[in-house]
Amino acid sequence: MKSHENHGELIMRLARTDFKLRYHGSTLGYVWAIVKPLLLFTILNFVFSSIFNFRNSGIPFYSLQLLTAILLFGFFSEGTVSGMTSLLSKSQLVTKTYVPRWTIVIASTLNALFVFGMNMIILAFFFIVYNKMPSLAGIGMFLIYVACLYALIVAFSFLTAPIFVRFRDLSMIWEVLLSIIMYSAPIIYPLSLIPAHLQKFLLLNPVGFIIHYTKEALILNSFPPPWQFVFLIGGIAFSGGAAFLVYCKLERKVAEYI
Amino acid sequence: MKYQNIPSEYAISVKGLSKRFVIPHERINTLKGAFIHAFRRKTFETFYALDAVSFDIKRGECFGIIGRNGSGKSTLLKILAGVYVADSGSVSIDGRISPFLELGIGFNPELSGRDNIYLNATVLGLSKKTIDEKFDSILAFSETGRFIDQKLKNYSSGMQVRLAFSVAIHANRDILIMDEVLAVGDTNFQAKCLQELHNLKEAGKTIVLVTHDISAVEKHCDRAMLIEEGKIAAIGEAGIVVAEYMKRNMSRNMSEVAKLI
Repeated sequence: MKSHENHGELIMRLARTDFKLRYHGSTLGYVWAIVKPLLLFTILNFVFSSIFNFRNSGIPFYSLQLLTAILLFGFFSEGTVSGMTSLLSKSQLVTKTYVPRWTIVIASTLNALFVFGMNMIILAFFFIVYNKMPSLAGIGMFLIYVACLYALIVAFSFLTAPIFVRFRDLSMIWEVLLSIIMYSAPIIYPLSLIPAHLQKFLLLNPVGFIIHYTKEALILNSFPPPWQFVFLIGGIAFSGGAAFLVYCKLERKVAEYI
Repeated sequence: MKYQNIPSEYAISVKGLSKRFVIPHERINTLKGAFIHAFRRKTFETFYALDAVSFDIKRGECFGIIGRNGSGKSTLLKILAGVYVADSGSVSIDGRISPFLELGIGFNPELSGRDNIYLNATVLGLSKKTIDEKFDSILAFSETGRFIDQKLKNYSSGMQVRLAFSVAIHANRDILIMDEVLAVGDTNFQAKCLQELHNLKEAGKTIVLVTHDISAVEKHCDRAMLIEEGKIAAIGEAGIVVAEYMKRNMSRNMSEVAKLI
């Protein structure tokens, strides 16, 4: 059965609506999308630069590293949460009509991508303020890492969106897991502060891996050994495929559980 | 279940369609609950919403589906629309279907009327180009012209419904599925809707109408089907099926009254 010939337009319309609704009601509007991570950055930067004095412990551009990491993690947490809750929050589109449900999941994650895109303006601004110009290779790798992170978000969303319809407390569990990920990934601290034998364990977490090496690429112009990178891509492709299979299985009954 | 496009005189062809729901006595909605109740025996009831239903709807026909609450009408519509997946049987649909079971799907009170038109129409399967072209016509039919850039929450409920119906009929599908959507607006607008329904039929559209308003079925539908407890109780010419429905309701009411006495 064919009811939509143009999935792209449907996805963009849903994503744009989400984006509009998210920030439309508040006085500051879209500015909130930028102000929110900036506030978090200001607080953490003050605490860890001035009080714990990470800045003078030999870490180059600590503030830039922190900002990069916060924006990436914000992208991940926002994307996964909205992807996971997508089918339930748009239950009307699931139970009252037929649109291909994967478009709903994708549209919800796209919203996080838009916000991340806007945040890139701040990141660029701070790179200029600190007078740091990333290399072309660094920027190229940055884009690849962002694509990997987005693929991870999409995979997670496909896996959890139909499960969340059945088990509504998944969001609470994920909130806890997110804060574990936040503190286990090199976000507020640089990886070099961790004892050497523990570092590789932290890099097993794909989010930690991506965040760490994005900072390295943009600021220090250094890259992971190729085999690690191959593992990352392979891992994401595998989990994405598995997540999609689970999604296809669960999607058929999703309307009955809402 | 498979959806296939078959070129034939039938717009919709349903064969041996069954759908059963397993309804647990205690619905578990959380992982915590699933964990706690992991070893408890689960009791449930199986409920046949549809039981081997077969029928055909001809192209260009206005087909009514009637039945009491809980008879399986909505389940059938949801399967036709693709919302539910049937357990067995097949559905063949020839033509583009407009699967709206309710008006104004995706409408959001915080958005303007204009945004809502675009959103709703996109959900119904229209491209942006088509919506651009039809925008004025949608607006004119809905009679909500000067409020178009107001937020939908400032619309009266009647205006919202008019806007929704207007988008729906502009979706221009070959097959329209309508679930109780005629009971909208004031009498004036209702007359307009019925007229529009008539026009759609004239234009060769297939219309599936589910309603409790049996006089509307009698008046507008060519054929009708009566569903009772998931089975087809009667199918055929609209007037005859409606009469059968009345007769059954009447005798049921009589026997209930008799029980009371």
